[in-house]
Amino acid sequence: MQTVETHQVAVLDRPNGSEGHLPDFNSENYKDAYSRINAIVIEGEQEAHDNYVSIGTLIPDKSDELLKLARMELKHMRGFTACGKNLGVTADMKFAKEFFSPLHGNFQEALTAGKLTTCFLIQAILIEAFAISAYHVYIRVADPFAKKITEGVVKDEYLHLNYGQEWLKANLATCKEELIQANKVNLPLIRSMLDQVAKDASELSMDREELMEEFMIAYQDSLTEIGLDNREIARMALAAVV
Amino acid sequence: MFGLIGHSTSFEDARRKALELGYDHIAAGDLDVWCSAPPQLVEHVEIKSPSGKTIEGAYIDSCFVPEMLGRFKTARRKVLNAMELAQKKDINITALGGFTSIIFENFNLLQHQLVRSTTLEWERFTTGNTHTAWVICRQLEINAPALGVDLSKARVAVVGATGDIGSAVCRWLSVRTGVAELLLVARQQQPLIDLQKELGGGRVLSLEEALPEADVVVWVASMPRTLEIDQTKLKSPCLMIDGGYPKNLDSKFAGSGVHVLKGGIVEFFQDIGWNMMELAEMEKPQRQMFACFAEAMILEFENCHTNFSWGRNNISLEKMDFIGEASVRHGFSTLNIKPQVHQAAVA
Repeated sequence: MQTVETHQVAVLDRPNGSEGHLPDFNSENYKDAYSRINAIVIEGEQEAHDNYVSIGTLIPDKSDELLKLARMELKHMRGFTACGKNLGVTADMKFAKEFFSPLHGNFQEALTAGKLTTCFLIQAILIEAFAISAYHVYIRVADPFAKKITEGVVKDEYLHLNYGQEWLKANLATCKEELIQANKVNLPLIRSMLDQVAKDASELSMDREELMEEFMIAYQDSLTEIGLDNREIARMALAAVV
Repeated sequence: MFGLIGHSTSFEDARRKALELGYDHIAAGDLDVWCSAPPQLVEHVEIKSPSGKTIEGAYIDSCFVPEMLGRFKTARRKVLNAMELAQKKDINITALGGFTSIIFENFNLLQHQLVRSTTLEWERFTTGNTHTAWVICRQLEINAPALGVDLSKARVAVVGATGDIGSAVCRWLSVRTGVAELLLVARQQQPLIDLQKELGGGRVLSLEEALPEADVVVWVASMPRTLEIDQTKLKSPCLMIDGGYPKNLDSKFAGSGVHVLKGGIVEFFQDIGWNMMELAEMEKPQRQMFACFAEAMILEFENCHTNFSWGRNNISLEKMDFIGEASVRHGFSTLNIKPQVHQAAVA
């Protein structure tokens, strides 16, 4: 099928309008937005480190493995800290702590209650999918130094996602209900976090629409891998929309 | 395994279908939600050829809707993400249906081979244009004589003659069908002149000049929405084969003596247990489908896992022969004008 209406042809004949357009990494607006986005990334990696160490306390026989993952997150954190320094930006860590606090609170609550499934959902599914999707989008518009760092991180992040997936997959029969419930509570937080950073992200040439789509792809992939079917995933994803 | 990448004909249809399928989160969303929605593998299907061979396939809805054409980044992502999903599902050969092949071509997606961590393997995809071109030619060869048009004396206008499908149709009609004269219509002059040279014939005309002369018009290009045609100036009978997308010619030519046939549509010899062709508003959605989709099935039946139709102007007569013979062998036939319409026309 090769043809379109003329008014559509006009659109299709004008491809790649802003293609290849990278932001001005040295502009004040860019640096200002970067101070918050960079802080979120650094804090996110720190949270991930702490969360994997905490999850290890719930499954002591896996704690060594989780500690390894946690150390990897710290390595990422150092990488992203270097990205900020490279641009001469001071990360706004206070903003980032507040940004993560609702999710952080929910994780801590689940940890105290020994709710491993909820912990895994928050860290290994939601936070990891959020991070991976943001990194994928960022790589396309990052400065050369940050691009290289982020590409390395993405490779590692897939390992973490898989780790949480594997556990949830193996325990799906017993953890499904808690998973669905935890998702209902926490997925809307991700959506609102995305909304909060949309303006700053856009300053970095990262579209909210693209970020959301990348997140939904990673989230959907992850739930599929765990063993949920399309309808179940659709019902879970509903929490991100309404 | 074969794959089909498709989309709904409108945003409204898409929401309705999503609701039916239980994709409540997408159905409930506005266009922005759809712009962020990942592609969905919505259906698995099994198809048995008259030869006895059974193949499996999957339908992937790209979550693209025509309303997104104005957002080129969104449109591009929809197509690339659907292709990535097809590859991740290890589908051997996937057809790009509807607008997706147009987006691929016009937005130069060949430059975007890396999608996240997946390097797209082009050999897993086909535009399906070879089969579409062959089907349109066969529709012309079968239906024009049925309407009383003698092809050896007929003038055939090809609107969009220089496109991938259009140029293939021209080559076939001049070499294989042997029509009296080809009337070549397209927007750009130089490619038309090049085509004329390649064909060793054909007359380059404007649309307005070509229509009154044509016994058969093959539309494989965009038709201006505002186009007004004085039907009294058209020949009677006149066969119009609507090979474009979306198919909207019948609303323009409702007059007697003008017969509009949906071009590039095939019918399988038995029902297929799928729901997706309802989206494309096929009259018999259990059997009818776009020829480009059928190309992926045929290639799978033939174990021909290659990007059979790819790039522009690569469709040779030999390729059309191959896909045409296989099409017939595996139970596909072309959509033809309904007998009662045809009788009325002849009478």
